[in-house]
Amino acid sequence: MVSQKDRAQVEEIIDEVSGKVYLPPCQIACPLGEDIQRSHAMLALLHLEPEEAANQIIKIGNEIYEKNPLFPLCSHICGLCEKECNYKDETGAVRRRMLVRLIAEHYLPYLETKPPLPAPTKEKVAVIGGGPGGLMCAYELSKMGYQVSILERNPELGGALQYIPRYRLPQEIVNSVINSLLRIAHIEVKCGVQMGDGGKTLKDLKSEGYRAIFIATGTPVPRPLTMEGELVKGAELEGVMFGLNLLYDVNQGNVPPRLYKGKRVVVVGGGNVAFDVARTARRLGGDVTIVCLEGEDKSTKDGIPADVEEIEGATQEGIKIVYSRGVEEIIGEDGKFRKIKCPRCTSVFDEDGRFNPKCDRSDVVYVEGDVLLVTIGQAPELAFYRQEGLLNERGRIDIDQLTLMNNLKPGIFIGGDVKRVGFAAEAMRDGVIAAESIDRYLKGKELRVGRKKEYESAPIPKHAHYKPQPELVWAPVEERLNFEPFEKGFTLEQAVEEARRCLCCGPCRSCKACVALEFQPEIPDIKYNEELCVDCGNCVFYCPCDAIKFKSPRGVRFDLTLCRACGLCIAVCPAMALEMENWEREHISALITKAASETEKPKILVFRCQWTVLPPLDRKFTSNVDVIDLPCAARVETFHILEALQKGIDGVLIVACPEEDCHRQTGSKEAQRSVAALGERLSQIGLQDRLHFCVVAPRHPEELDKELEQFRQRIEAIYSKESR
Amino acid sequence: MIVTTPKPLDELLDFLSPYSNILVAGCDGCTQPPRGLREAKTLSQLLELGGKLRNKDFIFKVTTVAKQCDNYLAASILRPQINGAEAVLSLACGIGTQTLAEIFPELPVFPAQNTHFMGAEEREAGILEERCVGCGDCLLAVTGGICPVARCSKGLLNGACGGSKEGKCELDPEKDCAWILIYEQLKKMDKLELLKEFRPPRDYQLSGWKVAP
Repeated sequence: MVSQKDRAQVEEIIDEVSGKVYLPPCQIACPLGEDIQRSHAMLALLHLEPEEAANQIIKIGNEIYEKNPLFPLCSHICGLCEKECNYKDETGAVRRRMLVRLIAEHYLPYLETKPPLPAPTKEKVAVIGGGPGGLMCAYELSKMGYQVSILERNPELGGALQYIPRYRLPQEIVNSVINSLLRIAHIEVKCGVQMGDGGKTLKDLKSEGYRAIFIATGTPVPRPLTMEGELVKGAELEGVMFGLNLLYDVNQGNVPPRLYKGKRVVVVGGGNVAFDVARTARRLGGDVTIVCLEGEDKSTKDGIPADVEEIEGATQEGIKIVYSRGVEEIIGEDGKFRKIKCPRCTSVFDEDGRFNPKCDRSDVVYVEGDVLLVTIGQAPELAFYRQEGLLNERGRIDIDQLTLMNNLKPGIFIGGDVKRVGFAAEAMRDGVIAAESIDRYLKGKELRVGRKKEYESAPIPKHAHYKPQPELVWAPVEERLNFEPFEKGFTLEQAVEEARRCLCCGPCRSCKACVALEFQPEIPDIKYNEELCVDCGNCVFYCPCDAIKFKSPRGVRFDLTLCRACGLCIAVCPAMALEMENWEREHISALITKAASETEKPKILVFRCQWTVLPPLDRKFTSNVDVIDLPCAARVETFHILEALQKGIDGVLIVACPEEDCHRQTGSKEAQRSVAALGERLSQIGLQDRLHFCVVAPRHPEELDKELEQFRQRIEAIYSKESR
Repeated sequence: MIVTTPKPLDELLDFLSPYSNILVAGCDGCTQPPRGLREAKTLSQLLELGGKLRNKDFIFKVTTVAKQCDNYLAASILRPQINGAEAVLSLACGIGTQTLAEIFPELPVFPAQNTHFMGAEEREAGILEERCVGCGDCLLAVTGGICPVARCSKGLLNGACGGSKEGKCELDPEKDCAWILIYEQLKKMDKLELLKEFRPPRDYQLSGWKVAP
């Protein structure tokens, strides 16, 4: 017996021909592969009762937590999925980050009481570095039953998260997420542990009983300013420091709130971290100017790398940006920083795409200031890796990119920024990969086999209308020059509306939100009776998801990986050669017979797309109304409408989703078309008023009530006239 | 395909009202969509509802045939099912209906469709247009695959006439001028010299009424 929970589990849908895994593009983009479409589909149908809705959100949060226990942090700092959203090219990406923010807001209080995983009993594994990659690896290992210790050099965990300004990522959320994770996953933490350089060695850890080690020490070393390979002079002047150190100090509370009041602060760098530094300095009272090598036009190869939102926010806050300037010299006066000499940058990346800035030293400006904050990137600290023999002859970390195991020392795994600087979520993915490798390694299994997966986006659903993207709401500048978060989150209603925009680009079986929502026990298969088929091609022509193909020379073939199980093919098949599992023609007929015998006169039967009704599912109707829920309004066959009328039903109401909400793109439209065509024929015998088609938006049962009431009055009027 | 449209239900009810047991025969053949099992079922349901309103109870038997116009095929499939039927309602084109009338000379056979022409469907636009008149002397090889007999309002063999205006026919401004279409197509194929050949008047005897198989 398969439980509801197991049936609701998503499946990996592999294309028969290419062997690639079909997923929605957002999920492919998410380094942790969050089931994005599924959570959107569920959010779009949240219960109307706020308390019940809150429970559902926690359920959604639990599902996300399974794959990504740091998701409340991602909801502040990530958004990789939005870059690949198919809605992006229409009216703007679905704001997944803000949707997760809402889930996180509900989930964080629950997180404090979330039950822990079973206590681990397997081998001990050490994780060196308590940043996103290390935390993720520890969680995954703990899920598999390993006893994990995180060794961290700093007094607190978090790694690079501790450098993110609190107006972007509040401290209490970081603490809550990390502390809960440690508790839930039984992770032991040892802070203040120095690896190498007189501290512990890998040999020490082995003798302490650790059977495998994941190293993710990130990039804690700020890069110094250079010009054409040479260090820029003047870095020792008073007032010159690394921006990264400022971020850490501010987060630790080591800095007076108006540190830069009355001071001119110059920030060098064009990345997101440089903007963090500039906006932090602005919040400390400084008059801030950013100087960067890159140009203003982001679309060119030498365009500024920082996100549009950062540039926009900084500009609003009064931060000036000087584009296309390098730093040739830091000039001081009496040992104090005074100004930088900035030649014009003519090119940032060379023809091979390598970072190789070129400057025109004859075109120079000077930017004056009291403080210079250098924020042009970070590098790993490799001394420990060198000492332990983890580097190759070129001085690079020597790992198998697929498994992250060190090529020189088996049992040592390395990932995260130290391997390659990237987004937090990418470091977290490395943690997941390393955990899988460690599990295989400790079980003596082959590390590489079956690891490499290729993904492919399913065909993009097309809609007739696209809803506009909601604007991000920021507190006005005069209210936000502090370290409180200034981005306003969605309300529940806004979140539901935004989730409704999701096009649900992935195959049904990789989502199964409908099963999780208990609309149907499983995604039904279409059954094809080739003997009855007359090769008219209607099913191929009408299928909204390209799931039916002609076979040569005769017949059709169903690709159930793409099928969205709307049933439109069944309704348009002139030969009645198709059937849908769980919604067989005879089954629906039996429901009609039951409705006809059990309801009171005048009898009304509603055929309703199940996506229009939830929640709540159990709406009460008057005793003369019966409802048959269908997977989509497109499943309604003229045959069934007429059968209902033949069996004594006085009126048939068809309820479909609005076109832009239809989960099958054309399901609602085609249902309307076929009902209209039948209405035309019924008018030839005077029965047109017995049939009505209406659309009802999901989560708006009052619209259904209104439509039903109008229809009921119409049918009652006909009935009383007839009875007389 | 053969293009047909359903007859109004009241007209069918008028035909059928003297009878009670009726065989509704679909045809899976040339129309799009085929008037097969589903249409036979739907039509019988509509007629039953319509009959009730006239206080008339019908008993329908519903079936379908791959091609009603093939008398051997239609007879083989339908004869075993005809027992008890007092009338036959055919969903085929006029040819299929006539075939059934031949097969069941003792029974009244009624058409459920009006037959219009041999044509093609533009599915996206949902438009059906005549393409062939069955003239018995196919010209398509020299007219770029476009038939002037069926598609020129005047059936000209040496077009275009002087009435073509902006590519449309003078008799129906919505209809493309077949000869302009032919000209454009031959130009594309670099075969405009074909237009210089004079085509003699059609031999109307070729369309005939009977050919050996």
